[in-house]
Amino acid sequence: MNHKLKLHNVTKEFQSEEVEIKALEDINLEVKPNEFLCIIGPSGCGKTTLLRMIAGLDYPSSGEIILDGDRVSGPSPDRGMVFQEFSLFPWRTVLKNIEFGLQIRGMKDKERREIAEKYLEFVGLQGFGNSYPYELSGGMKQRVAIARALATDPAILLMDEPFGSVDAQTRNVLQEELLEIWKRTKKTILFVTHSVDEAVYLADRVVVMSARPGRIIACRDIGIPRPRKRTSMEANEIREQLLMLLGSKHQK
Amino acid sequence: MRLPTKEEGLSLVPLIIVLLLWEIIAGYVIRDPLIVPRFSAVIFSIYTLRELLIIDILTSLLHFGIGMTLAFSAALPLAIAMGWFRNVFRAVDPIIEIIRPIPPLAWIPLAIVWIGLNHYAAGFIIFIGAFFPILIDSYTGFRDVPKVLVETGNVLGCIGNIKLIRYVALPYALPSIATGTRVGMGVGWMCVVAAEMFGVGNSGLGYRLFQKFYFLHQMDYVVAYMLILGLLALCLDRLFRHFVEDKLFRWKKGIVK
Repeated sequence: MNHKLKLHNVTKEFQSEEVEIKALEDINLEVKPNEFLCIIGPSGCGKTTLLRMIAGLDYPSSGEIILDGDRVSGPSPDRGMVFQEFSLFPWRTVLKNIEFGLQIRGMKDKERREIAEKYLEFVGLQGFGNSYPYELSGGMKQRVAIARALATDPAILLMDEPFGSVDAQTRNVLQEELLEIWKRTKKTILFVTHSVDEAVYLADRVVVMSARPGRIIACRDIGIPRPRKRTSMEANEIREQLLMLLGSKHQK
Repeated sequence: MRLPTKEEGLSLVPLIIVLLLWEIIAGYVIRDPLIVPRFSAVIFSIYTLRELLIIDILTSLLHFGIGMTLAFSAALPLAIAMGWFRNVFRAVDPIIEIIRPIPPLAWIPLAIVWIGLNHYAAGFIIFIGAFFPILIDSYTGFRDVPKVLVETGNVLGCIGNIKLIRYVALPYALPSIATGTRVGMGVGWMCVVAAEMFGVGNSGLGYRLFQKFYFLHQMDYVVAYMLILGLLALCLDRLFRHFVEDKLFRWKKGIVK
């Protein structure tokens, strides 16, 4: 099998005031193992819906989503998800948040604590294990959310604008850290963003979507060797092309 | 959290003034202990009544305990069902809203007919008083669980109502349940006197206050028991806050304070 995840003719319609709205139309996409794929598009293009359907939180109106040869039919811990809004359980300490998936699975206290500590170190938050979410900054919260999503060792990591609500500097740091995590864990990552800069810095391949109905209008391999420079000529060139793709669809 | 001594002293001043005014007005202006007994006489009464007082406090706490236990164990499961399942809410809410405005004291005749003249009848009145605040705050807590936390649970393998309630909704709603319980304790305590007035036994703060002291026109005793009723409620509330809210909800600090 040369693909990890396959979307076949995925369509999503919403019913709203007797009008049927096509949120996504005929999405076909194959994601390779270990690939870092970014999905960009204007707001309302259905990129979040697409990610939610892969997570199993929404269902396609037609078409199918296949992960590792199995059809996705509901949420499961083999698809880790990091949400845009802060999603830590506020009543649990950092370590207990990371342990959550393992606890649900019925793993013993000691075992899951060890794993949680490993992932805590992964995201560079040693020493914060016993803190509560309210004591953490926005960037730290998202780091914990990433550690929590990784702790159950999912086949694929889905990220829905995870750095959308942190400040610009923190955002850059988090991006670098994510690439480091990706290198270490060899996970397949699907990353939704509306930032072209972010996509060009992170992705192996960028999928560009248009709004209403959401369609894939382009797939672009980035091909710049890592570590990348945000301001390099090549990066600028790709950014320009992507922005044009997005812009032309905007002005219609 | 400790207030500086100076401010503490400052908040004591008005209290002392009120007590002094009470003593002076009762002793030198009104001069009729049947209308207003003197503060010093009331304090002396508490001392005189100390043995009766302990029995009455224990009896009242028994009634209160019966009522609160019933209220909590009935309200919580219903709150979970109403807060978590929209259809249960739609079906049950109209019934609740019809019964809720009935004053607990109006239930006394039914309590006597159904249960008889015993501790449980008094407990029942307190139950009626405490049940609704606990129910309403608790189901609000369950209803307000943020969608993102439920979905986060889902993608981490927490699927199905039982698991979601146990691992996501219940911990999220605990502070609301605690608030409801605290309010319920307050309302329940207000029902104690009435619940003991209709002859469910021959002890209890409310029983003594109304059936004995009032009929004998021992107003200093009446006021002494009023003060005890107030102080006891204050203690119960403080204990609850200390053992439940401060210990259990350290994680809420960032949200409320």
